[in-house]
Formats: sequence, structure tokens, C-alpha cells
Amino acid sequence: MALLIVIGILVLISIWFTSLYNKLVRLRNRRQNAFADIDVQLRQRHDLVPQLVDTVKGYASHEKELLLRVTEARTAAMAATTIDDKIKTEQQLTAALQGLKVQMEAYPDLKANQNFLQLQEELSDIENKLAAARRFFNGATTEYNNAVESFPGNLIARNFGFQRELFFDLGEDTRRRMDEPPKINFGNP
Amino acid sequence: MQYIGLASQTRKNNLNSILLLIAFPALLLAMCYAIIFFSSEQDTDQVNKYFLQIIPFVLVGVGIWFLIAWAGHSTFIKLATGAKSLERKENKRVYNLLENICISQGMKMPRLNIIRDDSLNAFASGISDNTYSISLSSGMINKLDDDELEGVLAHELSHIRNRDVRLLIISIIFVGIFSFVAEMAFRSLRFSGRKSSKDSKGSGVIVLIIIAITAVAYLISILLRFGISRNREYLADASASEMTKKPYALASALRKISADPMIEAVESRDVAQLFIDNPKPSVHKSASWDNLFATHPPIEKRIALLEQFA
Repeated sequence: MALLIVIGILVLISIWFTSLYNKLVRLRNRRQNAFADIDVQLRQRHDLVPQLVDTVKGYASHEKELLLRVTEARTAAMAATTIDDKIKTEQQLTAALQGLKVQMEAYPDLKANQNFLQLQEELSDIENKLAAARRFFNGATTEYNNAVESFPGNLIARNFGFQRELFFDLGEDTRRRMDEPPKINFGNP
Repeated sequence: MQYIGLASQTRKNNLNSILLLIAFPALLLAMCYAIIFFSSEQDTDQVNKYFLQIIPFVLVGVGIWFLIAWAGHSTFIKLATGAKSLERKENKRVYNLLENICISQGMKMPRLNIIRDDSLNAFASGISDNTYSISLSSGMINKLDDDELEGVLAHELSHIRNRDVRLLIISIIFVGIFSFVAEMAFRSLRFSGRKSSKDSKGSGVIVLIIIAITAVAYLISILLRFGISRNREYLADASASEMTKKPYALASALRKISADPMIEAVESRDVAQLFIDNPKPSVHKSASWDNLFATHPPIEKRIALLEQFA
């Protein structure tokens, strides 16, 4: 009788353990799937950047450094393979594009260019979708992190290689830029 | 964080869908039994025997009706509301708004339809991922700003996500069967009335009984349908503000909608329940009657709640 009770308890524990483990796997997979949505938008942004750079080059040739930064950030972002790497490199690309956008305010000719306007519109559309996909991804990440860090999930997580994962936020560079007041030039350009 | 009660609402909707799927055929069978009982000699054994014989026919009939409705409901609803498909290139703005909310919720994007009508209303319909759709009146698209329109789209999207839409469509399909049977009964009354005295008096009585029973069953089916929680509108409002984080925008959209929700093209009250606000305001002025048959909670209350939420 006592043996049966012990066996029963062991079975219950293993069922409980399995369901907890499966929950962690499910949440981790959901986070990865959510990243696929982001990836679609990121790839479209990669396709758009060269066109944007080419268009800007014709009007603002002495912004070479800025354009180089954007191109390099794009190359780095395209080379990234893991989610963590992608998050970091894409943050840099976002920051570089933001910088370009601010600088372009100084070129009225460029701002009148139809092609440039269309590219800008496409880019802002992609950025909006990116923001939406990021919201979903970060929600999934929060849920996963909570499961990994709270008791009793943390017992299993520690032993089976589940760990806290990164959020996809704007990145420090971009956030700092957004906090700065915009520079206004009243004198001659 | 999800609005409290949303997950349980989804579960309740799924359960209610199944209950409806059981309740409506059962009601139909009960109706058949009553008709047989009153129109024959009321010999229980005879009635039972006859009833057992017709059960398969009734169930197969319901099944066929249901399959046709399941396959064709989106077409029927489009016809009943005068909605047409909206292409992406026709209105990029609406597509972008809807797409962005769907991405942020990780949902598959429903189809978009437009009702060419200057008043403001919208509804969601569909049973499965492939048939879910949101229809907007052109007045809605033209008179609301981006934030307000986003709120309305999120409201409809939460109806889809909470499975409100599927439950409603199922109930509409079944009530359709009863209204069809009721109409047939009335037709047959007129028909037999014309033939008048040639038949025995008995058949006239039987037709009257059939009509009475059908009317009762029809009424029960309608009450069953309206018994479906009207709270779903509040819940959809709440989860829409959860999605967009802009309850004020949805409140101001509702205020604009409440000024002119009449869609002239919508003739059938059967589809009224689908809309964000009732497209056919009730003609009955008595309050209790209105409450029993209201398809929507008062819009002022919804606005007040949303503003509290903000």
C-alpha cells in the first residue's frame, strides 16, 4: 500500500514536471515565432535602405559619413543570425536612420523629390509595422521571462538551459536622440 | 496584461456555441413532436413511432441547412448588408491601420469589406480564420480620424478574437431555420384559407395548431439568441482600448457613430446584432420590450465606461 502511494506521488510529480517543462518550451517557441513577424519587416527595411541612400547621395553628397554609417549598420544587421545579435544590430540601424532623417531636414530640394518622399512614406510604414510587431514580441518575451524567473519554473529553467531573454526596444542610441530637444537653426544654413 | 474576464469570455463563448449547436436541433425536434402529437389522434405509442421515423429526416435537414449556411454565410451576409470587398489599393489607410493592430496582437488579418453608405456603422462576421471579415461603412472611413478608426477596428477585432462572432453566426443560422419554418406555416395557412370549405374543418384547426407551435418555437429561439450575453459589447470596448491604449479615441468614435448609425441597406433585423451599434433603431418605445429584444447596450453607457477607463 505504502509502495503504491509512493509510486502515485512520483507519477504526479513527473506529470507536474513535464507540464511545467512543456510550458517553458511553448513560451520560448512563441517568442521565436513572434520574432518571425519582426523579421519580415526588418527584411523589407533592408531592401529599402540602399534606394534611400542612393536618392540622398544625389542631393547631399557631403553627408558621406552619415550615409556610410547607415550602410554599415545595414550590412551588420543583415549579417546577424541570432535573435540577440539581430536586436542589437537593428537598434543601430534604427538609430542611424533616425539620424539621417533629422539631417535631411536641412535639404529642401531633397524634401521636394517625389522619389524621396515615397521612400520616406514606405519607411515610416515599415517602422509603424515594426513597432506593432515589437509590441507583440515584447509581450511574448515578458510572459516567457516571468515563467523562467518565478518559482517553481525557475527550478526547471536553471537546469535545462532556459534563461531570461532580451526585449526588442528602441536601444539607447535612439532613445537618447529622442530625448534631446530638436536643434533649430535660425541663422543661415 | 489582458483585461480581466476576457479569457473567461472566450471560454464561455466556445461553450455557448456548442450548447446552441445542441439546443436548436433539440428545440426543432420538440416542435415536431408537439405538432405530431396535436395533429394526430394523440395516441402516445403511435406518436412516438412516427416521431422516431422522422427524426433522421429532421436532423439531416438541419445538417444540410447548416452546411449550406456554413459554406455560404459570408456571401449571404454580404448580400443582406450590401457589403463589398475592399481592395488594398482602394484604401491603403484602413488596411494599414488594421494590419498594424493585427501584427501587434499576433492575429491573422481578417478580410475587409465596405458598405457604401454615408452613415456610420461597422460589423465583424465569419466562423473560421479564412472567413473572418470586418465591414465598414464608407461614412465610417471618411468621418473618423485615424485614432478613432483604429479603435473601431480593434473593437471588431476583439469580437473576432473572443469568438463572439462565431457564436452569433451560429445562432443566426439556427434562428433562420425557425423563421423559415414559421414563414412556411403562415403561407400554408393562407393557402388552406383560400381552399376554405372544401376541406374538413379538422385540417384548419391543425394548421392553426402548427402555427401556434411554430410561433412559440420561433420566440424561444429568438430569446435564446438574445440571451447571449450583451456584455460582449462592453468587453469588446475594453479589450479594444487594451489593444490601442486609446480609450478616448474609441469613446469619441462611438459618439460620432451614435449620431447616425442607420444603414438603409440593412433590411433584416437578423443581422443587426453583428454591428457595432444597432443599424435599425427599435420602433417599439416600451422600455421592457426594448430591453428584452435590444441587440446593443445603450451607447451612452458604453461611452461613459470608456471614459472612466482612460
